[in-house]
Amino acid sequence: MLHWTLRTLFARPAYLLASACGVAFALMLVIFIEAVFAGESGRIVNYLQKTKGDVWVMQRGVSNLHMATSFVSDWKVARIAEVEGVRKATPILYMNASIEIGGRQWFSFVVGMGEGEGRAGPWRVVKGKRRPGKGEVVIPATLARITGLDIGATITLNTKKLKVVGLSAGTFSMANSVTFAHADDLSDVMSAFGMISYVLVDAETGVDPRILAARIRDRIDKVNAVPLEDFIASDREMAMQMGVEIINIMSLIGMGLAIVITGFTVYSQTSRRRRELAVAKALGVRNRAVYGSVLLQAMCIALLGLAIATALAYAGAPLIEALVPLVALTIEPEVPLRLGVLALVIAAVASLIPARQVLRVDPATAFHG
Amino acid sequence: MLHLVCRQLLHRPLRTAFTLTAVAATIGAVLVIQGFQSGIYRQLPGLVLNRGGDLIVTQAGITNMIAARSTLPQLARRRIEAIGGVEIAHPLTAISAIFARHGRKTPIFILVYDSAGGPRNIIAGTAPKGPRDIVVDRSLARIHGLRLGERIEISEYAFRISGITTGNVAFFTPFAFVTYDGMIDFYMESKVVGDITTFPLLSFLIVDLEPGADRDRVAAAIEARVPEADVFVPRTLAANDRKLGRAMLGPVFNLITAVSFVIGVLVIGLIMSASVNARRRSLGVLKALGFSSRRLGGAVLFEAAIVTVVAFPFGMALAWGVAAVVDAAAPLYVVMFDDPATLLRTALGCAVFALAGSLIPVRVIARLEPAIVFRR
Repeated sequence: MLHWTLRTLFARPAYLLASACGVAFALMLVIFIEAVFAGESGRIVNYLQKTKGDVWVMQRGVSNLHMATSFVSDWKVARIAEVEGVRKATPILYMNASIEIGGRQWFSFVVGMGEGEGRAGPWRVVKGKRRPGKGEVVIPATLARITGLDIGATITLNTKKLKVVGLSAGTFSMANSVTFAHADDLSDVMSAFGMISYVLVDAETGVDPRILAARIRDRIDKVNAVPLEDFIASDREMAMQMGVEIINIMSLIGMGLAIVITGFTVYSQTSRRRRELAVAKALGVRNRAVYGSVLLQAMCIALLGLAIATALAYAGAPLIEALVPLVALTIEPEVPLRLGVLALVIAAVASLIPARQVLRVDPATAFHG
Repeated sequence: MLHLVCRQLLHRPLRTAFTLTAVAATIGAVLVIQGFQSGIYRQLPGLVLNRGGDLIVTQAGITNMIAARSTLPQLARRRIEAIGGVEIAHPLTAISAIFARHGRKTPIFILVYDSAGGPRNIIAGTAPKGPRDIVVDRSLARIHGLRLGERIEISEYAFRISGITTGNVAFFTPFAFVTYDGMIDFYMESKVVGDITTFPLLSFLIVDLEPGADRDRVAAAIEARVPEADVFVPRTLAANDRKLGRAMLGPVFNLITAVSFVIGVLVIGLIMSASVNARRRSLGVLKALGFSSRRLGGAVLFEAAIVTVVAFPFGMALAWGVAAVVDAAAPLYVVMFDDPATLLRTALGCAVFALAGSLIPVRVIARLEPAIVFRR
């Protein structure tokens, strides 16, 4: 029966490939949506990953950078610097804003850096200065490319006109582009005098960031201190959670489509082989074995579809990113594995209708003319 | 030709049902994706338009209500109310916060209001009455399993849920509403910073005009009297929010839509190929009887068109079903495809992918030999 199953399946390889491609594209929809959220979540934490730092200090009750508002009195920076195990404490001002760049509004997170302070600034500048002075700004190079701006152009943050003096790499994201400005300009815009938003803490060599974070929380009143690893995980998790329902719904839609396509293919195959099935049944092959054959066909189509979807997704992601730089795609390794389980469910459900057809095949039809 | 196509479709009802289901599922998927996009864009203006007022005052240079930090001087309200034609200026403050519970974090947008701009579409409970009262959207309630009357903590300050609204969401962010009494207590009691003035105290002013007042003249007078402010008609500010949303999310949704259309072409191509392959013998008979490849190809195109037209309402019904499930299970999102533009775009898209998809089997027919009919 196994031989018959495989022979039937591979009798028309073009048709099998087309069916697998249909399933593949339905599954690609799921991979793609997940990749968009994972890609954007990755970009969201890029600033934290690249600026590194061992511990981040913020307002008590806050534990995120993305979508959060934090205020800490600026005199606390010196207190934090005095805590045992702290090598350097770098304050930043931080706000989310809609910035006018190239005549369009763009959502961006603006980091205000102190005079001459580059620690929390852009980690790679492709053109121009790395540290913005007063009235100056460093914007993502991708954004400059999209809007056709270059060094010397002017952008508007609220009413403040700022001159572009640098273009940074790796700082663009649809939801979280990072713009670097001088802290004085930002405190003007935010009307936040005597305040900073976050403190980036570098620990002395050999100091455990977790212990240091606990020590800062203990010694400094009304602040939260989080080790970098936890801070990144917290932001990434929140970003992914914002899209978790949409991912689940798209997974269900993709699964539904894949079930219909697989079911249709297996049904078509089974329909064409009714006479052969009748002969097999007349020769004593049991319904269970025939159903197993149908299920195996469905599994082969679904798994082949998954393999094609995975290959296409990995091959296509860099191409899409090159064509549409606003979109970041990251395919998490566990996604194809999870979809593998989904493919098996798809196969099981998709084989139900053809199975009914198999059970109805009358062995006597094998002897009809 | 119609007769031929209809007979072929009715000859194998189960296969036809399968074909219709597959095409309807594809159309449904395309509609849902478009509906997500439309839903997100449709949610965006709600933040402004549901606040009421004839004019909205923002900090100078701020052209959005969503994703913007607007701070107005405390005295702006009094100065604006002194302008002729202004009946009243209602204060409104917007605070971004993150609500965390049971390991899940959701960004929320807290709107602090006084005499206007408060919660609309309350489906349970009442608007905030006391300083600890908060109204949350049902999307937040659904995500975190919150109930009316329950105590929740935001930045270590305990609120009581006095009401639950629906449809107060934008940019995947639910809104919550508190009164100014609540905000002051929140700032004071949560004791997170020493200086209360650090927090935004006044973000926007919602201006009601006196009957008969000239809106444009009053707007100009406000901008002249309060140079730190910009004045917008609510519709304009709402349009700006929508534009910002399109700029941020447009590229990704356009890409997803393009992918879904490619899937549509492939699925219809696959289905029509399977349909033609299954009928190779009967098509061979027709060729032997003198039907040209062109005519048979035309029949396949016609069949694809009929299948797509018949499947479209089923696809819509499927998409409505998904929209209802999304509304019940994940009210943070809205699936909306009731606007004619979305439906027309999808219908045109389906027509294109039905035609493109049926070109694959047309090639099979062109290569089909009439002699096939004499083979066993």
